[in-house]
Amino acid sequence: MTRALAVATALLLAAVLAMGVYLHILRGNERERAQNLPDSRPISAPVPGPPSHVILYLAYDDPGAVRARDATVPLPADPAQRGREILHALLGEYVKRPSSHELPAGADVKDVFLVNGNTAVVDTTPAFAEGHRSGILVETLTVASLVKTLTANLPGVTRVKILVDGKERETLAGHADLECFYDVVAVEQLLQQLQ
Amino acid sequence: MVAVLLFVLPASAPSAEQKQLSIYGPRVSYSLPVSERNGQDYVALLEALEPLGSVSASVEGQKWKLRFKKLEAEFRRNSPVGKIAGQKFGLPAPFLLEGDRGLVPLRVLPTILGLMLPTRTDYHEAGRRLFLGGAGTRFTTDLREAGLSLNFSAPVNPQISTEPGKLKMTFTRDPVVSNASIPRLENPLVSSVTFSENNGRAELVVLGRTPLLAKFAAAGKTIEIVPAPGEARQSTALTTAPSTPASAAPTPAPATVEVPPIVPAPPTVQSLTVKPPFVVMLDAGHGGDDRGALLSETLEEKAVTLAFARRLRSELQNRGIGSVMSRDADVTVPVEQRAAMADAARVAIFVSVHAASQGRGVRVYTAMINSLTSKPGGFLPWDTVQADYVLSSRALADVVKAELGKHEIPNSELAAPLKPLNNVAAAAIAIEVAPSGEDVASVNAGVYQQRIAAALAEAIVVGRSRVEAQR
Repeated sequence: MTRALAVATALLLAAVLAMGVYLHILRGNERERAQNLPDSRPISAPVPGPPSHVILYLAYDDPGAVRARDATVPLPADPAQRGREILHALLGEYVKRPSSHELPAGADVKDVFLVNGNTAVVDTTPAFAEGHRSGILVETLTVASLVKTLTANLPGVTRVKILVDGKERETLAGHADLECFYDVVAVEQLLQQLQ
Repeated sequence: MVAVLLFVLPASAPSAEQKQLSIYGPRVSYSLPVSERNGQDYVALLEALEPLGSVSASVEGQKWKLRFKKLEAEFRRNSPVGKIAGQKFGLPAPFLLEGDRGLVPLRVLPTILGLMLPTRTDYHEAGRRLFLGGAGTRFTTDLREAGLSLNFSAPVNPQISTEPGKLKMTFTRDPVVSNASIPRLENPLVSSVTFSENNGRAELVVLGRTPLLAKFAAAGKTIEIVPAPGEARQSTALTTAPSTPASAAPTPAPATVEVPPIVPAPPTVQSLTVKPPFVVMLDAGHGGDDRGALLSETLEEKAVTLAFARRLRSELQNRGIGSVMSRDADVTVPVEQRAAMADAARVAIFVSVHAASQGRGVRVYTAMINSLTSKPGGFLPWDTVQADYVLSSRALADVVKAELGKHEIPNSELAAPLKPLNNVAAAAIAIEVAPSGEDVASVNAGVYQQRIAAALAEAIVVGRSRVEAQR
């Protein structure tokens, strides 16, 4: 083997080794990036139903208000599933960009449970709370919008409890209480102040 | 509930005397807790580096590997030798590994930062203050007939406390350093100015021949020390409140009020009928591990709330009203513990301080709860304690709103499901300070905060009689 051939072989081997290391780093980076992406897969299959008229109470960061807006959402017959579809439509407005009240990608409702006919338990995704902006007003707007939208479209529901990923959480993002049951009358009074 | 909590809370008050180190850089200032291990002071190295750039650490067996920007460092559990960028150096005490936290002796931290940062480090060991890259705010004194001016090379935001004849300014976040010497002052108003450093803080103490008052000017770069309007104002509500049985004490108490003992006296007929002194609890939101909202890239809500609460405390002192703080340092205090502290101390008013980057001015909040009147002497359910006091809270919020309006500060009043308002057995409000204009940093400006604090303190003076009537 000539000296030139030996050098060329060594260089090629070094290049192969370097490319292998580079590929390993790229794979690591890609894996990390994929893990950090918000999970945007649907929580559950959409439930079919005829398009129905609902009222969404949308929050507006500027000027800090909640306003009613008509919408059409396919709704199933089961009240709990109706609640989930309505809140899914509401939060869908907030994860859009631009939005009047931005919530992080992946913020959604996993399920709604009705207890004794008058209490709704809303289970949200982890992204709903983990990525929520922190502040008294922004958190209050989210809670008020969610509670009012649910109670306005599900007659008989007077109390709402919000869970995150099936568990109770102290606050939404450092301010709004998530350990309490929200009373529809108190939320109604708050909405009047927010007009 | 509330009564039970009175017995279980003695160890819950935050300690303001926890050892700490303050680090001042050209762009960022922060404090770290200092832990004692085997008689030596230690700090967590990762926490020390985090505000200075991207940093990560991993544990591999007995080794603790750290990557800061492009530099790599390695330490071994219980070993007195460290390695940074391949360069070995000695530690005055062994490196400690607690879980995944790497602790280094405090004395070696300036050396480590010197090896990792392309900048000069200057460590004031006695005061536990570390300056990076020539950071430092200097000041000069200017004595005039009207008072003493302290002129700083950059805006400052100290905690100010007063006692008769003494005014103390404590600088934690500001890298205030002393000039070579402070001129001796001979004046009818001020007798001396002394500068000292201790536990991550700098203190300027002005001794006067009359009661003194501090005012900010020149966008926070000047502090004017002037005579207080009257000596009577120097005493606190604990000594001036007419309803306080102990108020006959002849000597005025220091303006900084200690938290009343948490463990209650055995219940007697007298203790149930005597009205406690009029004290305001100032609850600086968040703190420690809970930074609150990130208002800008470098501004955390917990720092703004603490600075504002301290200003409000000074304003209340100037008006003869005593106050206690739920925290007076960057420490973690659980939310419900803040309410428990207020209830145990039987405060008259609870003010929770928060800050936000959205909106303008100040938003005033009361609990989102319906009014209720419980039977006298009965236990109050923890989750709805505030129901008995919410009318009083709303009345106070109305007064605060009106006073903010008088000071031309944009404001609004709302109910909010804010923790822990529902658990407070007193008139309770929260304020959310938003920027004064487009610049989010204005939320932390001394002059702006001072205006709001003055309006709020005035509102508490105005609303006091109403709150007292409903206690």
